[in-house]
Amino acid sequence: MRVLITGAAHGLGRALTEELLRQGHQVVAADRETDTLENMPMAHRGACTIRFVDLESADSIQRLLTSFQGQPPFDLVFLNAGISATGKFEEIPEAAYDKLIAVNLFAPIYLASRLVGKELMGRKSKIVFISSLSHAMGYPGAAVYAATKDGRAGYARCAAQAFKKERVRVLTVFPGPINTAHAQRHAPEGSKASKRMAPQKMAKLILRAAKGNSKTYYPGTKAYLAALFGKMMPGLATRLMRRGIYDKLKGSTF
Amino acid sequence: MAKKNARPHTVLVTGATDGIGLLLARAYARRGHHVLATGRRGIANDEEFFKSPNVTYVMADQSDPRHAAATILAIMQDMGWAQLDLAILNGATAWTGPPYDEPINTIGEQLKVNIAAPIHLTLALAPMLFAAKGRLVMVGSTSVGKAQGQFATYVATKAALDGLCRSLREEWRGRANVMIVHPGPTRTRMHAKAGLNIPILRLFFMSPKKVTRAIQVAIRRGNDGRKMITRFACFMARFSWAGKGQL
Repeated sequence: MRVLITGAAHGLGRALTEELLRQGHQVVAADRETDTLENMPMAHRGACTIRFVDLESADSIQRLLTSFQGQPPFDLVFLNAGISATGKFEEIPEAAYDKLIAVNLFAPIYLASRLVGKELMGRKSKIVFISSLSHAMGYPGAAVYAATKDGRAGYARCAAQAFKKERVRVLTVFPGPINTAHAQRHAPEGSKASKRMAPQKMAKLILRAAKGNSKTYYPGTKAYLAALFGKMMPGLATRLMRRGIYDKLKGSTF
Repeated sequence: MAKKNARPHTVLVTGATDGIGLLLARAYARRGHHVLATGRRGIANDEEFFKSPNVTYVMADQSDPRHAAATILAIMQDMGWAQLDLAILNGATAWTGPPYDEPINTIGEQLKVNIAAPIHLTLALAPMLFAAKGRLVMVGSTSVGKAQGQFATYVATKAALDGLCRSLREEWRGRANVMIVHPGPTRTRMHAKAGLNIPILRLFFMSPKKVTRAIQVAIRRGNDGRKMITRFACFMARFSWAGKGQL
């Protein structure tokens, strides 16, 4: 399989890249921090192509897409890259919001649109959008982050219908907290890292779901139950999120 | 109870040059409130209305979100508004067609007008809304829960607004009332502007007047953070009445 992963240098993207390489697939790993990708364990390097992309910039995305011209099409694409901004809505600077919209919303929309439009996706291929469990629970303390992740899920739902004609399937994944440096930076003080899922385990679950036929996937029992709760009692779920996160926030991180 | 809040309120309506925005601006002006109407297309649709004494129009193009927010804030300060009782962020734009054919410019424009501009405006207006314990109302779309292959980016922006309101309503609880109304397909010019022209389907769309009234009722009640403006909601709105000076 030929696979594209955005945000491959750290966290979930890194775990997905390593797992796919272990399984012997060809991976195009795209990230802004290509140095970190160079450190990939040697045993994995065989089929890994590293590509620089700055998802804040439309030109950079365009250059990435141009580099795919004339190459074999992708069988699996993970639109995984994402950034966050936590804190009180009105205390986060507006520049951070522009960045969130660019990286979390514009980049995956533009990439998905062009990958299909320029016929860079193979037959029976799949695009995986990584959203967030905040889609089901709300996320006071990261309102715009939650907004962009909801937007991503909304686009994925529509794209799933529109891309059917082009024989491209779409999966949306709603991961709960993952034990990554990213989560550590944005979680309120005193939250336990041991309660978050290891990225390696998350990557395995997501890859298994990507091979199946489902259109949406909540990885792990906890996320699944949280999603059920969030759908049945949305108001209460968001209020509990406020208690657990927003009320404990000290300052903002972006 | 009905007269508790009877005083002229300060009301902001974005995207007020046409469609639901124009009807909302007219409705609040008719009740005697001070209305600041914004848009990017000029006042040609109803010049007489925009020149009424309690209505101010300012051109603010949301495809430049920061500039639009700064313009609106500046004009409020010029008018001496110390607080804002009601902000209706209604302005939006759409494009229809298969997502893999969508031009990069329209993706960018929809993200700017439909989601970045409301975020920048909300940031700018926050202190004035807190001062009044006011209401912040976003206008979404019933398409947020559906798969609309022809409106992918538009739905993405409206889903993002929906998520923003859900979290922000909880963050601002006790300081300001945040809500989102989701109107169903309405017989406005929006579809034609988005490049979709299906005359027969329009017969099934809701009347803009009724939708506007249902939105007003939802705003006045303010107890539902996420209100679907369905035909049923439009029907029920007939039985809600408000006097002069009320929202």
